[in-house]
Amino acid sequence: MISLIGFLSLVFAIGINFYLLLSRYIFKFKKQRFNFFIRLSSLLTLLSFFSLMYAYVTSDFSNYNVFQNSHSDKPLIYKISGTWGNHEGSMLLWLCILSIFSFFFSFTKNIEDNFQKLTLIIQAFLHILFGLFIVLTSNPFLVNSILVNEGLGLNPILQDPGLAIHPPVLYAGYVGYSIVFSIAIAGLFQNADDEWLYVAKKWSLISWTFLTGGIALGSYWAYYELGWGGWWFWDPVENISLMPWIAGLALVHSLIMVRGEQAIKKWIVFLSILCFSLSVFGTFLVRSGILTSVHSFAADSSRGVFILLIFFIITGFGFLVFLLKEPKKSNSLNLLFINKVSALVINNILMIIATLTILLGTIYPIIIEVLYNKRISVGGPYFNSTVIPIMIPGFLLMSIAPILSWQTSKIKSSKKYALSFIILSIVVLLQSYFLNFNTWGFVGLLLGLWIILASIIAILTSYKIKFTIKFFQIINPHIAHIGVGIAIIGITCSSVFQNELDFNLSEGDEFNVNGKKVLFEKIETTNETNFQALRGKFLFNIESNKINEIKAGKNYYPVSKIITSEAGILHQWNRDIYFILGDQKNNEWFVRVLINPFVSFIWLGVILMVYSGLIAVTRR
Amino acid sequence: MNRIFLLTPLIVLLIVCIFSLIYLLTGKDPNKPPSALLNKSVPIFESSSLYNSNEIIKTKDLQNKKTLINFFASWCSPCKVEHPLFFEIRKNYPELYLLGFNHKDPTLDAKKYLKDDGNPYHFVGVDSDGLIALEFGVFGLPETYLINEEGTIIYKFMGPLTKDILKNEIAPLL
Repeated sequence: MISLIGFLSLVFAIGINFYLLLSRYIFKFKKQRFNFFIRLSSLLTLLSFFSLMYAYVTSDFSNYNVFQNSHSDKPLIYKISGTWGNHEGSMLLWLCILSIFSFFFSFTKNIEDNFQKLTLIIQAFLHILFGLFIVLTSNPFLVNSILVNEGLGLNPILQDPGLAIHPPVLYAGYVGYSIVFSIAIAGLFQNADDEWLYVAKKWSLISWTFLTGGIALGSYWAYYELGWGGWWFWDPVENISLMPWIAGLALVHSLIMVRGEQAIKKWIVFLSILCFSLSVFGTFLVRSGILTSVHSFAADSSRGVFILLIFFIITGFGFLVFLLKEPKKSNSLNLLFINKVSALVINNILMIIATLTILLGTIYPIIIEVLYNKRISVGGPYFNSTVIPIMIPGFLLMSIAPILSWQTSKIKSSKKYALSFIILSIVVLLQSYFLNFNTWGFVGLLLGLWIILASIIAILTSYKIKFTIKFFQIINPHIAHIGVGIAIIGITCSSVFQNELDFNLSEGDEFNVNGKKVLFEKIETTNETNFQALRGKFLFNIESNKINEIKAGKNYYPVSKIITSEAGILHQWNRDIYFILGDQKNNEWFVRVLINPFVSFIWLGVILMVYSGLIAVTRR
Repeated sequence: MNRIFLLTPLIVLLIVCIFSLIYLLTGKDPNKPPSALLNKSVPIFESSSLYNSNEIIKTKDLQNKKTLINFFASWCSPCKVEHPLFFEIRKNYPELYLLGFNHKDPTLDAKKYLKDDGNPYHFVGVDSDGLIALEFGVFGLPETYLINEEGTIIYKFMGPLTKDILKNEIAPLL
């Protein structure tokens, strides 16, 4: 019953969007009526999604999708997240978020009526494409042909609080770019005045902030759940999310900096189309099952072809409109040796090169396999040695970009910056030299620290410190850059200076980690609601008064017969001590201990970036 | 110059789409990496029966008959999905020799699994340390190999078999 309601409301929502699409040519609506229909279709899509969620929460196994992916023993939160823990449900979530964005956009004020209408019609068009995809190839409301009392269970690796919210947040980022895409296309069609840039800026900031949060959540999950001790693996699916993120970063900066220059406006339109195209391309690569990773659900080539077609239509349409309707007027850019505009242009070029480099690395295996029938995989070494060097000049430029002038090449108090850069370089060089010198470590530390230092100098010398909302809005770009600097330090230290120790231990053994005594106390097994847990209990620093307890082990999920590893992590402000419990052999357990310096800085940096994204949304 | 700049994204789009389409249409599947062993001889192995450790099967025993080798384990849930299909294969192709390799499994679990779900195999070999799977280049369970009368691997599939795959890919080779 609930499945029927869900299915019908989905079909009605798609129908309404058809009606709206036709309305542009056949029957003209008044604004209010038009908005009513847009909101109605959004609410119907939402109803459809919540019907599916209801089926999951009540463990309604007459729904085939629920039967395949859920189990009545599961805790409530994972029943809810089970809704999007599978291909069909996650596509419905995608559509649902698209609708929510349209819904809110229909309330935007200070925007010309026709322009808003056209944007929403393009949204309706996207809704139809993805809606048809769901109904025709990935229907989550199929009825289960056999009567069953129990479901097959959710992939245990997905049973994790971090992962429960990772997909909705990430999708909000991906799909948010649909609004930016629609705005840009509508802008091309209508030759609208510059008001749309302001609207586009707001939405692209929202999308970018969500995307940042979503990527970080996924990355944090990988860090403690996969038990590999790292947080970024250049996995194809990670790369896919990184591409719209970098392009989106370029877009946000261009939108903030544009002052009526035609060339930059053209560039903004290009980036808007690119961001959403990359988002859809990512959806295609993951959902078609072309890439295998922790994200692939069952692969099905007919779905792949359908969603490739959607990608082709959207991207082709976008760039074709761009080709045919490009803004004709042009005025020249105020490019100087080093001013705000030239810094923006250079950074944009670098970001696009980085995006293309990642794109190449991601699709290269597909091309090679088609041509030579050979399987290759492009991994970390390629990306580390190409993307990082491309980004370095950008990071350097970033540290001083906010204080550059619009009109001249002069930098205010440039001597102060030069002097502090030299002092900082010497300090970092000495520090690296006396500890263990590593080129990448040196470069990363210097960059990170320099970005933070330059931003702080800029705040101190340019503004009067006041604790008002306005002040925080003004220094917001610097805060965002400080976030990047902190994240760079975290990334550098945790990857370059990671330390790995392996032990074979019996219960009761003591061992040394970084000069601290650790006791491997015992192995415990417990029965939880839907899994059995095996934990090794470690006591860290037993010689002091402050003993930390760390539990590392594995979970066994009997329904799906899968074992997941659960790393035990002791978080300290300057390092994470990361315990992995391996296999048992002859009464000895293999234990790996990783010392990851400054990992917390990565998350802190991301939090600052998300914070400044939110602040920037509030600022006109 | 400007036109070329504007056309570039469309050209890139076209290239990406064409390659992706070919990839999808030629039935390439990440679960089916091109096997290094395809069209080569079966690796040399020796394995004892799950039910009787004195009963041994060797590479030589596969001569002069078509053999379907399936790597499975009781802990592997996709194996459970494809399992009923082997009864169908045994019924429809009585000539075909079905050899199952029980991969890294406690003997008791394996026996219980084959008792509960039935045993479609002519012979169940034990691969408790996974060495035979290593020789075959097994990527992940389940995995299925078809060997012809000359002892050459003529087909390999990764992941659970389906009726479609059986009908479209394996049946023509039998």
